[in-house]
Amino acid sequence: MLEALNTPMFGIVLSVLAFRIGMWVNKKIKHPLANPLLIAMTLIVLLLVLFDIPLDMYEKGSAIITLFLAPVTAVLALTIYRQRALLMSSLLPVLLGTLAGSVASLFSIKWTSGLLGLDRVVLASLMSKSVTTPIAIAITEQFGGIPALTVASTVISGTLGNLLAPLLAKMFFISDPIAHGVGIGSCSHALGTSKALEIGEVEGAMSSIAISLSGIFTVLLAPLFFL
Amino acid sequence: MKILIQLGLLFGVCILGDLISAVLPFAFPGSVISMLLMLFLLLSRWMKESTIEESANFLLTNMTFFFIPFGVGILRYAALIKSVWWQLLVVNLVSLLACFAASSWTVVLITRLQELWRRRRNA
Repeated sequence: MLEALNTPMFGIVLSVLAFRIGMWVNKKIKHPLANPLLIAMTLIVLLLVLFDIPLDMYEKGSAIITLFLAPVTAVLALTIYRQRALLMSSLLPVLLGTLAGSVASLFSIKWTSGLLGLDRVVLASLMSKSVTTPIAIAITEQFGGIPALTVASTVISGTLGNLLAPLLAKMFFISDPIAHGVGIGSCSHALGTSKALEIGEVEGAMSSIAISLSGIFTVLLAPLFFL
Repeated sequence: MKILIQLGLLFGVCILGDLISAVLPFAFPGSVISMLLMLFLLLSRWMKESTIEESANFLLTNMTFFFIPFGVGILRYAALIKSVWWQLLVVNLVSLLACFAASSWTVVLITRLQELWRRRRNA
């Protein structure tokens, strides 16, 4: 019977189903911890383990899904392009802010990883974890890290950013909506941005600009910190 | 047909990005080069937003879906993650605080400097 599942279609159908359930639960519960990606991942892992289906069988289909990662990254250009008027209105603060955020993120990841004795492969998988997932995976692959670990870490930092966004502004005495938005987008990509959109229009727009900008800065700077 | 051409175009830009990445003397992810190429095409008006709109919106609104396989790959590293899970949480929390503080304070600082500069020029 298992033979019938030995086709790329199995992985694709399973992923779509799991994602559909994840989105549904997320809509019902409306809490950042009910993350659709996390739910879908868990469901698939449980199913594979429970029915003793080899991961290779799932990955036949998943290879086709991950083929879309490159075009997903490419169309991120559209998110910058659509916000170009807003970006130009405060170009210098936003550019330097996301640059500073990327440097601080890379530096603190390298420093704490060293302090906690994490090895190089784990460090390579964590370096990019503040930026949007497609770019983070590209950086991890470049340094020979484990993409699965990167995905888990980007979900963790995105969820933390989402939960803590209002608290962070109070903690660091930030009242300027532009500064708050850039801060959220730089450290917690799209998951944080959904919270920024709830806080306010300026916060949301600035946060979504910061996603792609900090991704670009991190690609450029990561080699300096890793080598 | 429209969507087929859009997807073909997007994959074409991605292949171009990978080609450039292979030729570059330093390592730089091909997908990020494709993104910069796309931004250049849009800003230079060689490509209109409407040329790729439907496919781009499909990819952007369902972005999370495409990460699921990488997430499931975690199954292969269960032992590793079990051994470093609290370190991962600490690294995540520390870098979140550092990144937020650095980026938001820089925005505040630069905005104030710009105001100061403007006032001085007007005085």
